[in-house]
Amino acid sequence: MTGFALRRLLSLPPLLLAVSFGFFAMLRLGRGDPALDYLRLAQIPPTDAALALARLELGLDRPLLAQYGAWLAGLARGDLGTSWFTRRPVLEEIAEFLPATLQLAGTAMLVTLLLGLPLGFWAALRRDRWPDHATRLIAFLGVSLPNFWLAFLLVLLFAVTLGWLPAMGREGPASLILPALATATMSACVMLRLVRASVLGALGEPHLRFAAARGLPRRVLLARHVGLNALLPPLTAMGLHLGELIGGAMVVETVFGWPGLGRWALLAIGNRDYPVLQGFVLVLTLVFVLGNLLVDLAYAWLDPRLRLEHAA
Amino acid sequence: MLRRSLLRGLPGLGALPGLRAGRAAAAPAPAMGPLRFSWPTNAGPLHPHLYAPNQMYAQAMLYEPLVRYVEGGGVAPALATAWRAEEGGRAYVFSLRPGVRFSDGTPFDAAAVVANLRALLENRARHAWLELVAQIAGVEALDAGTVRLALHGPYYPTLMELALIRPLRFASPAALRPDGTLAAPIGTGPWALAETRPGQHDLFRRREDYWGPRPALQAVQVKVLADANTRALALESGEIDLAYGTDQLDADSFRRFAGDRRFTTAISPPLATRLMAMNSARFPTDDLAVRQAIAQGIDRAALVRHVLLDTEPAAETLFAENFPYTRLGLRAPAHDRAAAAARLEQAGWHLPPGGRVRQKEGRELALDLCFVGSDALQKSLAEAVQGDLARLGIAARLRGEDSASYLGRQKSGEFGLIFTDSWGAPYDPHAFLGSMRQPAHADYQAQRGLPMKAEIDRRIGAVLVSTEEAARAEEYRWLLTTLHEQAVYFPISFLTNKLVYRAGLGTVPFGGTRYEIPFDQILPRG
Repeated sequence: MTGFALRRLLSLPPLLLAVSFGFFAMLRLGRGDPALDYLRLAQIPPTDAALALARLELGLDRPLLAQYGAWLAGLARGDLGTSWFTRRPVLEEIAEFLPATLQLAGTAMLVTLLLGLPLGFWAALRRDRWPDHATRLIAFLGVSLPNFWLAFLLVLLFAVTLGWLPAMGREGPASLILPALATATMSACVMLRLVRASVLGALGEPHLRFAAARGLPRRVLLARHVGLNALLPPLTAMGLHLGELIGGAMVVETVFGWPGLGRWALLAIGNRDYPVLQGFVLVLTLVFVLGNLLVDLAYAWLDPRLRLEHAA
Repeated sequence: MLRRSLLRGLPGLGALPGLRAGRAAAAPAPAMGPLRFSWPTNAGPLHPHLYAPNQMYAQAMLYEPLVRYVEGGGVAPALATAWRAEEGGRAYVFSLRPGVRFSDGTPFDAAAVVANLRALLENRARHAWLELVAQIAGVEALDAGTVRLALHGPYYPTLMELALIRPLRFASPAALRPDGTLAAPIGTGPWALAETRPGQHDLFRRREDYWGPRPALQAVQVKVLADANTRALALESGEIDLAYGTDQLDADSFRRFAGDRRFTTAISPPLATRLMAMNSARFPTDDLAVRQAIAQGIDRAALVRHVLLDTEPAAETLFAENFPYTRLGLRAPAHDRAAAAARLEQAGWHLPPGGRVRQKEGRELALDLCFVGSDALQKSLAEAVQGDLARLGIAARLRGEDSASYLGRQKSGEFGLIFTDSWGAPYDPHAFLGSMRQPAHADYQAQRGLPMKAEIDRRIGAVLVSTEEAARAEEYRWLLTTLHEQAVYFPISFLTNKLVYRAGLGTVPFGGTRYEIPFDQILPRG
């Protein structure tokens, strides 16, 4: 298991390098001139002299490979560059905005599990009865609703109409509820459907019929023989949800004025702030890969067959 | 009730009549707390001489000019109480207001002015876009309360450009480092920055030792809200008290608030012009008849009524008549589709049998209509214009692109029609006209094909250095009339600031320019 984890960790640097180069190339080879955007934001008319000065200041006057080399050299020193817009170190801004995003994504993940797991079990155990139909309808609606639209609906209901919760900002636990719900709804509904299908699959396994024939109580059957087996596919999905939740937070953070990494990145997209975007993608890749590594380790821990395979 | 409130608040559905407010929104703004406003980003480091990420509204709160712009093109005393031009406009002498201090206690005097202007001139290249910076030859303190600004030559808009929010305002010399950077944002204005929380808010507190009338508000909290719909909901749920700006709220939300008795709404006088430039150097708009037909064939009133929802007045001229030298009585041709079509026929543009796009000598009457793809308003306007042009037999290819590509087209002239704005007060008309000589501007590119372009540029140069009022007015008359007659612009509307606040807040006036929000003049009720 340790060897498996180490191998996965060792694969991280080349992966980050490949992602960073791919993203760097994608940004630089796209249409348009970021120096023009820089001047637009500064409300400076784009004269040739102003453009030349902006390119010099932003380092855009150098060849592409030299620009990437400089960024990489900075990265080796723990320097992700300086935001073209705020003129502040990217790493400092990441450290400032990441906790809010992790808080939001973490809470959303918790909501996903708290809603998706029990409702999925419930729906599967009452297959083709009203709880199954009701949860499937909810899941269908939840998966279909774009999160920004749901976010506006939640604000209208709970903040504007009822006045129970704040509409925006990050001040106290109450302000976390609506953004977390808006972020988690789609993942929770996907999780619900996955758990339902997984439980139904486990319920149809021959070993369960044999265990029942041996006279094991229903509680033990469900907890040990259905529950543990049915958890494996949703666990894999959790790794994917992690990226989805952080990605989804971009829009939700903007709607709720949540001071996180997503809104910061969205602003950077509008501003063509390349150093910020490169830093954001690097952090996102890191979180995604580490999250999936944790999921894989948990998977191996839950499923003895995997441990034995690795041991062999 | 709940369903009605939901429907009323949904973006795009808010204009439904008869829908009433939810009860949470009825809560009045707190009487003694800070005024809560919102802006898409934090205020920035607030250097008075620098640009992004410094937000102009916040720079205007902290830093003051020597003279202040007043609507209509005049200037009023600010940090200078009096001034006089010398050597035929080659120098200006300013008497500084006595008793003014920066918020750190440093006195505002001639040495502070000289330190700031010298720091600015050290960095002249950065401010090259502003003609006055290029014109300044030097600055000297005649005594502690008098400053002399020497210019390379006469430049009549000197006072106007001194009134700009940046870069010609003043930080405390104690905070201004020798390399021109700033240790802390310390100005002479009525507000001081008390707190910044990145991504969350900025807090400005009233200065108790301010030299002028103290603001009635004690503090202004500016929350960071990037999205206009979020801002509308925050206003409705009582989490902000005020929305103020050109595009803080979309037209639909503004109309909804206007119909809600709990809110006060207002629209400012014209501040700038929303335009489309027509490229006189590119086929087919290089044909004057085509440009004139377009000017006559687009239904401006419909654009204003249906797309802008009457939140901006229709514009018939390049500049509104509340700007200096612009009251010339010019009027746009009345919308007349038949007359526009006849003009095209007369110019040799005919519809082929069964065809929908006119042709002349085998070439189709088709052009690129360029806009920023992510700008929903420009997109709606472009689609409406495309429809009007199609009825004339002109094919408009919509080119919605990212902002850098759009700016690239403005710079290179790769457009038939392109959206643009004038710069607004106090830049209009002089600085906007001045920029028409720069090839990097859409205006230059649009005018490049005019037979009198060289004469236009020459007269723009002459008007900026003119010293006689009558001659200057005459030059402006010729320039604005020529551009009007040559139909290189299709003015759509005059940009305005839109104001929405809770009816219980008190009185909120408009500032003289687009980015100056007069927080210091807000009078809370009670």
